[in-house]
Amino acid sequence: MQLNKEQEDLLSGKEGHGAQKAMEILVAMGEAQGAERMVEISYAHLMPPDLMFFPYGRQGKWAHEMTEDLTKDIKRLRVPATVEPQFCDLCIAKDLQYPDSIVEEMRDIQATAMEFYEELGVIPTYTALPFYYYQGKLGEHVSISESIATLWFNTMFGSRCERDDGVKSLAAAITGCVPLEGVHLTENRHGEVIIRLAEDLDFTEFNDADWDAFSLATSRKCKDKRPVFLGIPPTIGVTDLKHLLAVIAVESGLALMHMVGITPEAPTLEAALAGNKPLDEFVIGKQDLGEAYQLANTATGSDIDFILLGCPHLTLRELREMTEVLEGKSIHSNVKLVAVTTRMLLQQAEDMGYADVIRDAGGILTNDMCIAFAGTQVTGTIATNSIKAVFFYAGFSSGAKRKVRFGSTKDCARSALTGKWEGRSE
Amino acid sequence: MAIFRGRSVAKMGTIEGKALVTRDLVAFWAGTDWETGEIVEIGHEARGKNMAGKILVFPKGKGGAGETFGYYYLARSGKAPRAMVCQSGLGQTVAGALLTKTPMVYGFAEDIVNAITTGDTVRVDTDKGEVEVVKRES
Repeated sequence: MQLNKEQEDLLSGKEGHGAQKAMEILVAMGEAQGAERMVEISYAHLMPPDLMFFPYGRQGKWAHEMTEDLTKDIKRLRVPATVEPQFCDLCIAKDLQYPDSIVEEMRDIQATAMEFYEELGVIPTYTALPFYYYQGKLGEHVSISESIATLWFNTMFGSRCERDDGVKSLAAAITGCVPLEGVHLTENRHGEVIIRLAEDLDFTEFNDADWDAFSLATSRKCKDKRPVFLGIPPTIGVTDLKHLLAVIAVESGLALMHMVGITPEAPTLEAALAGNKPLDEFVIGKQDLGEAYQLANTATGSDIDFILLGCPHLTLRELREMTEVLEGKSIHSNVKLVAVTTRMLLQQAEDMGYADVIRDAGGILTNDMCIAFAGTQVTGTIATNSIKAVFFYAGFSSGAKRKVRFGSTKDCARSALTGKWEGRSE
Repeated sequence: MAIFRGRSVAKMGTIEGKALVTRDLVAFWAGTDWETGEIVEIGHEARGKNMAGKILVFPKGKGGAGETFGYYYLARSGKAPRAMVCQSGLGQTVAGALLTKTPMVYGFAEDIVNAITTGDTVRVDTDKGEVEVVKRES
């Protein structure tokens, strides 16, 4: 790879050990992917392993070892940076069935990591939705390690960001650059397949869960080909966008998609395809949605033990929908409800009275943590409004230990009151 | 026998092993059990198959940005594939291979997941970026 003088200096170790290691990683990544040079970034979103990736036991030790060499003499980052959620709010770890010994280990590893990154100047956003804090710009190069945020910045802002991981984004924040490859290059940004809705469905009748199911159905068709969506209402809001983007980001491995008439690089279908012929066209209908609901529901019985909401963090609309169901009522004694949002939105939910309604009903409402990862310790049936969360709850080695019900935010809130699944059953 | 040319993420010599092939995208964080090497994702074509010690042949990675850590944990628990052969290289998969020094070759002109069959004996030459089927599963 061609490096400029500043990048050569970093690689030679003139700026210290961590910066040298960071440059070595980026050069190795760039060479492995055929990049000819680096490109400067103006922002990074970090995913430190010791903050988020099961920070206890032997993997807690591995997490630290992964980044130790990179971070030990770093005093500052070259670009503004935000950060992913913490693994777990320690005050509610017991509610999620973590034993005291593990909570103590988490306290050590997670708190050390938080302190380190905050001292480095990382903005303590602790969310997978950093666009609430940092808005991307068209054509701006950034480095993001969080699948929905990568997809959001490329798609909604037209910023340029590859599917970076925690190590690469940290290296990018230390050096201020990433290899110029993938969707950083204009020739890799055009749409490849067309997605449209069948006549038996109507976007304007979708609830939040339908957007997830539609997104899963789309992912299973388009796989790793960049989709161009037709007919999505231009009035689509942040909540439905979150549901649509979160699922496809995990299920397809994509960094970028287009929505005609909505996203900046897709004013028309022709512009989204950039003169290329589409490789395929998929029509998503009622049956596809039904199959997606079926895949996302692994439970067969109707009893619910946990309602876990907030992957990614709940929006104000979702919090409001919960309160519409829970107001003046009590959550069933067999059910534990945990709802998670960002620090800023929690403050607003408190101002608007939503927080009181959820807590008065017996729910737990907190912020800054990753309910998708932290929720993987529980035994029983989990209900959630997120197929991204289902991917994690039904994954790992859950086996017979954990089953999942998936439905809308309101379905989940209604199930909290009865202890039985109140959403659709396939 | 058949030789396929791709791009190697780093030069690590030549290794040989039995292929595990899937036509579905593979996720290492949550989609694979890092304690056992088994693919556990609901609805995955290769669900229940174990990648530990195999030459894993797949179209591309998927999953969250934690993919690299998932692969790293898999390797630290000794359950990683012996090598990865992919149609195209997701950034997080390439990073996982580099961090754990797993041989990985990707980017073939041929449709690699249909050119190799589970059980084939495959040689991966990371210096030349070549993958060779040395013995077909009979």
